[in-house]
Amino acid sequence: MFVRFMAAEAEEPIVQIRELFKVYQQGEINVTALNGISLDIARGEFLTLMGPSGSGKSTLLHIIAGVDRPSSGSCHVQGIDVTALNESELADWRNHNVGFVFQTFNLIPVLTAYENVELPLLLTRLSSGERRRQVQTALELVGLADRQHHLPRQLSGGQEQRVAIARALVTDPSLIVADEPTGNLDSHSAQDVLTILQSLSRSAGKTVIMVTHDPKAAAYGSRSVHLEKGELSN
Amino acid sequence: MTLTGFIAKNALRNKRRLVLSVTSVAVSLFLLVALQVALRELTNPINDEGSSLRIIVRNKVSLAQPLPARQLQVLERIPGIAAITPFTFYGGLYKGDEKFTSFAQFAVDPARTLPLITDAKVPREQLEAWLADRTSCIVGKMTAERYGLKIGDRMQFTSQLYPADLEFKIVGIYEGTADDRNVFFHHKYLDESLGNPGTVGTWWVRAASIEEAPLVTARINQAFANSSAEVRAESERAFVLGFVSMWGNIQNLISGISVVVVFALLLVTVSTMSMAIRERFRELAILKAIGFRRRELFAFILAESFGLALLGGVLGVGGAYFLCNSLDIQKLSNGLFLLFEVTPRMVGFGFSVAALLGVLAAAAPMITVARTSVVEGLKTLD
Repeated sequence: MFVRFMAAEAEEPIVQIRELFKVYQQGEINVTALNGISLDIARGEFLTLMGPSGSGKSTLLHIIAGVDRPSSGSCHVQGIDVTALNESELADWRNHNVGFVFQTFNLIPVLTAYENVELPLLLTRLSSGERRRQVQTALELVGLADRQHHLPRQLSGGQEQRVAIARALVTDPSLIVADEPTGNLDSHSAQDVLTILQSLSRSAGKTVIMVTHDPKAAAYGSRSVHLEKGELSN
Repeated sequence: MTLTGFIAKNALRNKRRLVLSVTSVAVSLFLLVALQVALRELTNPINDEGSSLRIIVRNKVSLAQPLPARQLQVLERIPGIAAITPFTFYGGLYKGDEKFTSFAQFAVDPARTLPLITDAKVPREQLEAWLADRTSCIVGKMTAERYGLKIGDRMQFTSQLYPADLEFKIVGIYEGTADDRNVFFHHKYLDESLGNPGTVGTWWVRAASIEEAPLVTARINQAFANSSAEVRAESERAFVLGFVSMWGNIQNLISGISVVVVFALLLVTVSTMSMAIRERFRELAILKAIGFRRRELFAFILAESFGLALLGGVLGVGGAYFLCNSLDIQKLSNGLFLLFEVTPRMVGFGFSVAALLGVLAAAAPMITVARTSVVEGLKTLD
């Protein structure tokens, strides 16, 4: 019975996108960022979104992560239609289900690595002891337990991005979205970050969706999707 | 880390700006409270029981116009009057003072004056000495202390109103009145020095009871209506307020300055908060992305703005309270202000202004944050 449940869960995509359109209005001109995208992403998959600038990959990532809304179409994540949630429900949903990793790290400069990672947990009802355990686990997972009291300015770019990954992980979300996470890193640090994301997908069963321009980075993913002028090209 | 700790760390991230902003709020609120104190000092005359009974009778044309001394006989016949004395402002410059003497000198009839200044405490033997010597005077305790005067000393004055310079011998020092600065001397001494002109500056009247005071006022005005020297009788409070109004509409002036101070303060605080939030726009977008709701971000902004304004309030209003209560304002203002007291109502007013500033200053950044979507905020990142 457990095997049957696992199989059913494995078959059910974590992300189901159907006929997704996103049209921006720039003055009197309508710009189509996404043009009827339909896509399924399996649980535990490490999907990379590739394409030239302006192809709509970041827009697609934002809609999946619940920070942007489509003009039409549906986007179900774990069976929930995120386009139907109001702003407050979306915020709550993001806190529990999505971890964000950005190109420019975006750590709060006045908070230590530990406090930055703890930030999403302040919205939960966890006790300070439970929060401490989760933060320690997340920092250990990215190999920065010994840097927890450092401020962002005292860390290297690679270390900052690893703290950002720990912040994304700390609420134990099922989905991690990364928007060009290696764009500001040297090759060695980029490799470290990509290895962590890969292991999150392979070992922890997290679904990772990463936007990248770099084919070498895309090679770490289990599947790559190309976008061209708002449409899937393969 | 707690949410409070997070707010505090955000507020303290730019320490120089924080110090400057808090200082500007503090200085402005200090000024605001000081203006309220000055306004109260100037427009809120003594209002005790003795003052409610006292009636000032002056020439209807102008305070500067004297009244005929013969009016005394008419006044004495008016029912409801318990005491009456001539009361003439001498306007003397005390020896050593170059341009301004901070205490007034009044020529009175000592025997008739005592029932009028019942709150004054003077030893009996000093009163008897004053009554007995036509060139003597009694001096308020504040003035005596300020000039180091004691019984037996002499005071020389050059009048700026009358062609008579006078010298008095101090025979008594009084205290216990609302204004223990004045000098009282014999009207007869002034009359003789001026060649007995048969005039007085004003009449000071004491009504028999508070209930009768308005009736007495009306009777006095009526008694001299259509005479060669019509009078205006009014309560001491009305007289003092009328005296203050001769400075111009000081209440409107101070209120106007207060409004300008509050408005300037509002601009400073709004500007500071807007700058602080604009700098952190990227971070607020990240907070939104990781699950912070609009109302939580509003709470952060409001708490920071409110905290800044309140800290300024504590320093500004507290500073005004401390200074007004610890410094000798009477001495510092050269006798212009007597009490210069910060009342609990003024403290409440100061903190209300600070709280209102905190809320208003948070409004603009809150609207901006509310209007900006997560994606728009994230676009500012790259």
